[in-house]
Amino acid sequence: MALLKPTRPGPAIATDRKWALSFAVGVVGIFLGYQFVVPHLPYQVASFVDDWLPLTALNEASVYVILALGLNIVVGYAGLLDLGFVAFWAIGGYVVGWLMSGFFDSARVNILGHPPIGLPNGVHISFWLVLLIAGAFCALWGVIIGWPTLRLKSDYLALVTLGFGEIIPQVFVNGEDINGFNLSNGSKGITPVDGIDLFGKLLGPFDLAFKFLIYAGIAAFVVLLSLRLREGRLGRAWLAIREDELAASMMGVPLRKTKLAAYAVGAFSGGLGGAAFATQVNGVFAERFNFSISIILLAMVVLGGMGNVWGVIIGALVLAWINSTGLVQFGQTFNNAFGTQINFPSYNFLLFGIILILMMLFRREGLIPERRTKLLLREPERGQMTALGAEAELVAAEEAIHTQTDPPSEGKLATQTDDAGMGVDAPQSGDSTEGGRS
Amino acid sequence: MATQTAVRSRIAVSATVQRVSAAVILAGVSAWLIWNLIAAPAQFFTVGIQGLSNGALYALIALGYTLVYGIIELINFAHGDLFMLGTLFSAWILTKLLQQTSPSMGGFLWFVATLLGAMVFCSAINVAIEFFAYRRLRKAPKLAPLITAVGVSFILQFIGLSWNGSGPKNWNTVLPDHDYMFFGVTVNSQALIVLGVTLPLLGLMTFIVSRTRAGKAMRATAQDQDAARLMGINVNRTISFTFAMGGALAGAAGVMYQQTVGTTNYNLGFQLGLIAFTSAVLGGIGSLPGAVLGGLLIGVIQGLNDGLPHGLGQKWSQSVVFTILILLMVFKPAGLFGSNAVEKV
Amino acid sequence: MTDAIRATDITVSFGGLVAVNAVTFTVPERSVVSLIGPNGAGKTTFFNVLTGLYKPDSGVVEFQDRDVTGLPPHRIAEAGLARTFQNIRLFGLMTAEENVMVAMHSQLKAGVIATLLRTRVQKREEAQARDRARELLDFVGISHTRDEYARNLSYGDQRRLEVARALALQPKVLLLDEPTAGMNPQESARFVEFIYRLREERDTAVLLIEHDMSVVMRVSERITVLDRGEKIAEGTAEQVRSDTRVIEAYLGTGAAGSAGL
Repeated sequence: MALLKPTRPGPAIATDRKWALSFAVGVVGIFLGYQFVVPHLPYQVASFVDDWLPLTALNEASVYVILALGLNIVVGYAGLLDLGFVAFWAIGGYVVGWLMSGFFDSARVNILGHPPIGLPNGVHISFWLVLLIAGAFCALWGVIIGWPTLRLKSDYLALVTLGFGEIIPQVFVNGEDINGFNLSNGSKGITPVDGIDLFGKLLGPFDLAFKFLIYAGIAAFVVLLSLRLREGRLGRAWLAIREDELAASMMGVPLRKTKLAAYAVGAFSGGLGGAAFATQVNGVFAERFNFSISIILLAMVVLGGMGNVWGVIIGALVLAWINSTGLVQFGQTFNNAFGTQINFPSYNFLLFGIILILMMLFRREGLIPERRTKLLLREPERGQMTALGAEAELVAAEEAIHTQTDPPSEGKLATQTDDAGMGVDAPQSGDSTEGGRS
Repeated sequence: MATQTAVRSRIAVSATVQRVSAAVILAGVSAWLIWNLIAAPAQFFTVGIQGLSNGALYALIALGYTLVYGIIELINFAHGDLFMLGTLFSAWILTKLLQQTSPSMGGFLWFVATLLGAMVFCSAINVAIEFFAYRRLRKAPKLAPLITAVGVSFILQFIGLSWNGSGPKNWNTVLPDHDYMFFGVTVNSQALIVLGVTLPLLGLMTFIVSRTRAGKAMRATAQDQDAARLMGINVNRTISFTFAMGGALAGAAGVMYQQTVGTTNYNLGFQLGLIAFTSAVLGGIGSLPGAVLGGLLIGVIQGLNDGLPHGLGQKWSQSVVFTILILLMVFKPAGLFGSNAVEKV
Repeated sequence: MTDAIRATDITVSFGGLVAVNAVTFTVPERSVVSLIGPNGAGKTTFFNVLTGLYKPDSGVVEFQDRDVTGLPPHRIAEAGLARTFQNIRLFGLMTAEENVMVAMHSQLKAGVIATLLRTRVQKREEAQARDRARELLDFVGISHTRDEYARNLSYGDQRRLEVARALALQPKVLLLDEPTAGMNPQESARFVEFIYRLREERDTAVLLIEHDMSVVMRVSERITVLDRGEKIAEGTAEQVRSDTRVIEAYLGTGAAGSAGL
């Protein structure tokens, strides 16, 4: 038996610990910086910071991180291409709108809530409880949305989730009058919403740094959830389904339940993000939830590396920043410097489109790939298999003969392609195979 | 053996559930149609014919989806945006450049010329997209080309955004806009023109697919790419040809849309693309007559929903179509004429 | 002694083509039986019915007297039927150890909350699963590949990994689909030894689909021959070897006289 070059996946735990540490340090650093340092900076520096890295942008980016991590579970782990993830952003937001405002003003409910002074009507529940409720409610919707897709191929699955991603926001937009019941206030949205209570301190619109801490904390929770689940039997089941759904089911993995679990956990995280966002923008506005957000989230997961939690975080931060601040600021600077009038923010469509295409063509595993995905999304490499030449011909020949009666060999991202009869050396595409495997 | 019959019936039940629910939905929709027909017959037909005309456009776009899906099993996400570019081409060439803003004999000739021009234009773009973005990913797992298609869609929308601005634009048309009355039913001349252009196009396409060598190559490649290759068919060229055809149909639809509905908008492709795709699925993805029938059906249903007293109204239009799509996927993914596209869980 | 598997009157047709025609077949407990037949005979289709991939048009499949016809594949796996695949279907980007642990999915209990909280129960369960996985890798002889990605293993090791993975289900019956494809004679011989070990040490019956007649003849207690969807012979190696219908099925009509199977 040939001695194989050890291509071990490596001590994944140690790498995770390193990343987690950096994450924690970064978060604390940012919080301390904005809370204590920035207010005392000289004007020039402060306004530069305010232009290029305002806390609102960071907070919004953090929310994107939470959502992208949720999508990572559905797309990155389980391989289910969900193109309608914005629905959970919306639902999460509306849960806050319903349970932390004067919207249902005929009721008067207060569970550890903080209604505005003198306006006790409505439903006012503590943010922390609402967060959980939003997550749970979205998990339920994740199951509802996922259920019709269970038997579908990836293309159709994408379309169905896309459909839901359109219907649900449209329900909210039209929701001012559904048979006389006001569900969502339509395009007016629900605003304002109550503040977050943090250890007795009620966060107001100027407590952005504290809110950042909270959002980062939620993101950390979702990271923990992702990593722990991945190391357990559910994560193995998800990866197995992503690789070869058929084989997975024959090894005892219940496909329906496992896929629904992916949708539920992903949606739960999405709900957390949606709820957080509502507190950031002090309300929920139906018109904000459109299809392009689902695609931006997808771009974040793709850019970061499908399945790699840390890559997705970076991808989300980078893309969110570019979208909200980077393009605007770069545009202003550029236009000022060259006297042009190019509308840079409108280029975001182009940017995201190019990112998706280039990533798929040249670096499908993402910028910081989870070691696995690197190999997953490329051609099956034949190099390492020692006596594969003869075996491949034989296996392929038998395959060709058995095609009538074989089970369909497609998995979601099947590692065996049907290259019947292709020689060992036949290059399939222009992909460069990197020298070593990591 | 009791257990034996129990199991047998369990197997039979799920198949029956499928059939029954499909029948129930069909019955429900038919009932709704009849209800509306009885309530306002003249309006029903008026709206219905308008819906048919819209449906013709959907059919043209749906064909593009189904042709491409049939041959490389990819939902070309960007196809709807191609249609949108067709509308822009028409707007800028016919209305702006050639300044054909009102009906005239010469104007109509220019319309036809623009029609052909748009078909070439969209055809070329589609072929380029396939070549640059999809070809390399043909053997890649499905997730990759799907994501790429989404990326292409975004880029095309960007082009639309730059070209047409962020809001809708309205245009005057070169097509005569008369209402003809038949027994209380209003039929618009534009609807007739749309049908009059679409039908020959469909005929031409059918001819190409069923009678020409290129068409045979398409059908062979759709069935088994490797076998086709072994038979000497240039698969790459055939696939490009398929994309070209799909693009041409989308371009034609675009011109007609711009001339009849009269608006252009950068995200038109996304909206109409989903509707057209639903039509393709309704008819059975991979089936050409299915795509046409699906398009007409959806057009009629949508028209009725929007225009009739017992419909939900236009603001729910998209949701209605998407709900149809979802229901189809759950209960009858093969659509009316398609082969079973579902994999077993 | 009950049959581990009893399939009665199984018929499967695809459209107009009848792939399996009223085949009745049993696998006695702790036996080693083989299913052979020329290409296109319907062996794999029949296999797929047993594993729950296809629903038969008619007929019943029972595991130890329990009716499992039409159950989804994962339930049949739980019921005690594991298989390997003709063209290896490992989870390429999971390690060998993880591949084996996937098959233990139905035996583990931890839910989302337990996994999130890393409860003592969950940790213990995972540790036990890991130990079992290592033991299985050891049994098939590929312990050294434990942390390798399955896709990087040599062909032979991949085959073994597939068996280890299947064994993780603690099956009553192990279905091996052309397990010696691509093996040279020494490897095939080792494989025969391996099958004996399986039966002795693991208390599992083995159903083999095979083309390599030397393996089939040596290892099988009983051989069943399918041709064009029908069972044409069943018996010991000796009986099958000299059965005229079998010879004709493989070598064509009229070859019975000059056969030397």
